[in-house]
Amino acid sequence: MAANHHTHETNKPHRYEGPKNHLITFAVSILLTALAFFAVMANLGKTFTIMFIVLLAIVQAAFQLYVWMHAKDRGHTYAKIGIFMGGIIALTAVAAVVYWMWW
Amino acid sequence: MSATHHAHGSLPAEPEKATLEGRNKILGFWLFLGGETVLFGTLFATFLGYNNVKGIGDGPDPAHLFDLKLVALATLILLVSSLTSVFAVQAMHRHDKSKMLLWFGVTVVLGLAFLGLEIYEFVHYVHEGHTFSTSAFSSAFYTLVGFHGAHVLFGSLWIALLMLQLVKKGLTVVTAPKCYVAALYWHFVDLVWVFIFTVVYLMSKVG
Repeated sequence: MAANHHTHETNKPHRYEGPKNHLITFAVSILLTALAFFAVMANLGKTFTIMFIVLLAIVQAAFQLYVWMHAKDRGHTYAKIGIFMGGIIALTAVAAVVYWMWW
Repeated sequence: MSATHHAHGSLPAEPEKATLEGRNKILGFWLFLGGETVLFGTLFATFLGYNNVKGIGDGPDPAHLFDLKLVALATLILLVSSLTSVFAVQAMHRHDKSKMLLWFGVTVVLGLAFLGLEIYEFVHYVHEGHTFSTSAFSSAFYTLVGFHGAHVLFGSLWIALLMLQLVKKGLTVVTAPKCYVAALYWHFVDLVWVFIFTVVYLMSKVG
């Protein structure tokens, strides 16, 4: 970084790697989605299938957040705190309502 | 003043983060998305609470109602639209306004295609006797999925208006954060859909 110190910001080398990472993320997303659909059609047992497809959804969500929404980049600490706080409160709501209504 | 200055040849590499206002806008938007997560979380909670035999009442049950082929197509459309909005932001980093307009345009078209499928789906369900007030399950279903559809509609209109602003005002340090934030919103809407197809559609077909 320091070696490339120019006076004009336009001369700064590009910090993004181009579309490669995003295309890989896209391919993985399609793969995870297809896997979830196949898991449901393959009749692998109720509890296992539900746990498996929810896990796939969480992995896919993490890919979206970290690669496509750039949460992995520098300077996203507060952004991540904001979205994870929301996620924790949302999960608490889901757990509370499901527990309250099912049992 | 500084906006017009940047428009003429000296736009920084990341125009969306060039000003304090731009950076604050992006941070504020992430906090808003945290709030949106809570909102969708409670709707998911309601759906999960009612998505059992007790909640279906006299209406058709989800396993017979949902068509996974239609859902797979809708999912594919939304995933591709997320990728095209990534391409729009990358074009922004190359300061390529016409490519930005192209990729945002494709994103809006895909968003509207998704909405078309959803409208078709809802009309079909109503035909099957699955209306908003049929059962607790149907109310929770239409609220959650319809609320996501409303987000897709809002995002499509938002991006379309930003495209007009890009044409009119060009790519500047003022318009760049708006485009970046709209792309974040679009990814978030796609992320919510991942949980909708998993929790609403796929889980209903299990067991």
